[in-house]
Amino acid sequence: MPAVELDRVTKTFGEVTAVDDLSLGVPEGSVFGFIGPNGSGKTTTIRMIVNIFYPDRGQIRVLGDVMSPARNHLLGYLPEERGLYRKMHVRPLLEFFGELRGGRKVGREVAGWLARLDLAQCANRRVDTLSKGMSQRVQFIAAVVPEPKLLILDEPFTGLDPVSADVLREAILDLRRRGATVILSTHDMTVAETMCDHICMIFRGKKVLDGTLASIQDQYSNDTIRVAVGGGLAMLDDLPGVEKVRDLGQVQELRMALGCDPHQVLRALVERTRVTSFSIAKPSLHDIFVRIAGPAAEEEVGVD
Amino acid sequence: MTNMLRKILLMARRDYLESVRTKAFIIGLVVAPILFGGGIFGVALMKKKPDLRDKRIAVLDRTGVVAGLLAQAAAEKNAKEAYDKVTHAQTAALYVLEAVAPAPGDPEEQRLALSNRVRSRELFAFLEIWPQALHPGQEIKAPARTVGYYTNAGGIDTTRNWLRDPLNRAVRSVQLAQLGVQGSHFEDLLTPVAIDPLSLLARDAKTGALQQAKKKDEVAEFVAPFGMVMLLTMIVMVGTAPMLSAVTEDKNQRIFEMLLGLATPMELMAARVLAALGRSLTSSAFYIVGALLVLEGMAMMGSVPLYLLPWFFVYLVADVIMLSSFAAALGAACNSPQDAQNLAVVLVAPIMIPFFVMMPVMTAPNGAMATVMSLFPPFTPVVMLLRQCMPMGVPAWQPWVGLAGVLVWTVGGTWVAARIFRVGILMQGQPPKLSEIVRWAWAG
Repeated sequence: MPAVELDRVTKTFGEVTAVDDLSLGVPEGSVFGFIGPNGSGKTTTIRMIVNIFYPDRGQIRVLGDVMSPARNHLLGYLPEERGLYRKMHVRPLLEFFGELRGGRKVGREVAGWLARLDLAQCANRRVDTLSKGMSQRVQFIAAVVPEPKLLILDEPFTGLDPVSADVLREAILDLRRRGATVILSTHDMTVAETMCDHICMIFRGKKVLDGTLASIQDQYSNDTIRVAVGGGLAMLDDLPGVEKVRDLGQVQELRMALGCDPHQVLRALVERTRVTSFSIAKPSLHDIFVRIAGPAAEEEVGVD
Repeated sequence: MTNMLRKILLMARRDYLESVRTKAFIIGLVVAPILFGGGIFGVALMKKKPDLRDKRIAVLDRTGVVAGLLAQAAAEKNAKEAYDKVTHAQTAALYVLEAVAPAPGDPEEQRLALSNRVRSRELFAFLEIWPQALHPGQEIKAPARTVGYYTNAGGIDTTRNWLRDPLNRAVRSVQLAQLGVQGSHFEDLLTPVAIDPLSLLARDAKTGALQQAKKKDEVAEFVAPFGMVMLLTMIVMVGTAPMLSAVTEDKNQRIFEMLLGLATPMELMAARVLAALGRSLTSSAFYIVGALLVLEGMAMMGSVPLYLLPWFFVYLVADVIMLSSFAAALGAACNSPQDAQNLAVVLVAPIMIPFFVMMPVMTAPNGAMATVMSLFPPFTPVVMLLRQCMPMGVPAWQPWVGLAGVLVWTVGGTWVAARIFRVGILMQGQPPKLSEIVRWAWAG
């Protein structure tokens, strides 16, 4: 049974259709990546799941039942727009949010999470004295105390340093291991690729990708070559059979035209320069995202 | 306890505790009575330290007979009121009247010279009495000046108020003398007849005993309704005014989306309203207990209409709910503290408008304007309470009809406010137009 099930859900704001006839299922116990460009309808979809917005059409079922305010206690939500009572102290603030959701005292759980996210020393500090990263970790705790069955995280890693991001990643995966279902909305394709069991992309309110990373990549075949060559990007102009070149810095990613033989590309490269690395790969999630949504096209170098 | 009620109470407790712990609330709670009490203390202090400088008044008497009588009245007043009866120390300024004979030539030059003496503070004022003053009734068809009082004293001039009585007595004395009445009758003829304000008689329903009329304290009859309405206004303002900026601030700090994951907009608003009610009741307890202690100390407890306290609290609760839900909706529609500040005047209108019409309502508490205003729900709490505080009271049905109107208005207003609040708290960017707010209220 899916933890969350959307059945032909539509939401409009005036003339704008934010979510258009969207159906999807979030497998129970999975980390579900929710991706899409800005304004594609991700946040609106999440707000409907959380019961902040109501769909104009269609139905949403959460943990087997139609979502209602009475089920809010099953759900932890970290919105993209971070907000905490700035004048409150950390511990009472977290206890307030925890009690509001769980209907019981959560002092011990709060203390445990503060220690786990290296915030124990901040427990008695006012929120407005915390750094951005600390505030973000505090807000994460507010979303997971008491432990929810469904956790919805909208861009949880934004603004975090690598150490804090690792701590948070480990905490999320641990919650998943303990049975929680996690919906992770992110613009970071690496996070989606490495953390998510299942990925869904929506674009202009419609679902354009839905499945595991492997199944999504299979839809795009092995049309990608990653190379590292002497002379770098300048050596890759006008390569026969190559449609596009994406510069990743030390490595370049080439997308081949339909029916192109990768050996032909390798031969052309060897004739031009020294090739230090050459591998045929499935397209990355980033590449797939760009192919669909195309906002980063300026960064790419078009090759005939 | 239902889950909904539990959440509302939990959020209300947080909002309440956070707001009553602020310096602004504590200072407001303490400063307001100090300001009012300070005013009373200031007046008392001024009475204790009066200005003892002589009040020299020149009397330019064109009748030739009034100035002497005025000087005599001033001397009597000085002897009677300007000295402490035990210590004989001077306690008030002495009136010194200086008779000035009309000078030949241009009268305006003489007036200018006297005016300059007033400007140089040699004189407090000067009085010009024309001959027509002796027969003021004959001048009705062709009005002419009878007495002129020239001064640069501003505000409430007690000297002019005092002069009115001895001047009229002097004029009447001259008239009576001209009519041949003996001077020994003057006191009897000129002493005004006082009208004592008395309460109505009643018969005790149980004992059958007649309850005599008591002399009414007119000051207390003014102070009681004024004070009660003032208290209501102050408490409602203390409870609801912070709501507008608090909601806008929370909206700017993006708190609502986090909360909306845990509670419905209606629960959020209910908690806010409940917290405002808590703030108001806290301040009302503080003020009412304080006021009662002061009145008890001043032995003025009898003038307080204590039987109206239940109505006071009913109106207080209704007004706070009405205004705080309105404030929540307005705050949700604002995107910055500046927007909220601009809309504050809209919020306080339902409480300030009735406050401004207090005097006309007290003059005619059962007049058409007072009755209509007291039955218009946004104004009912203040205006109806004011009318109820007046000695003649209101017809028994009116407070109940007014209350029914307030309840309907409160429920309807809160429902509309909740719909605006629900949409507004997630809206960012440009402040919404009025048409958009109406659409939110309509469509939710």
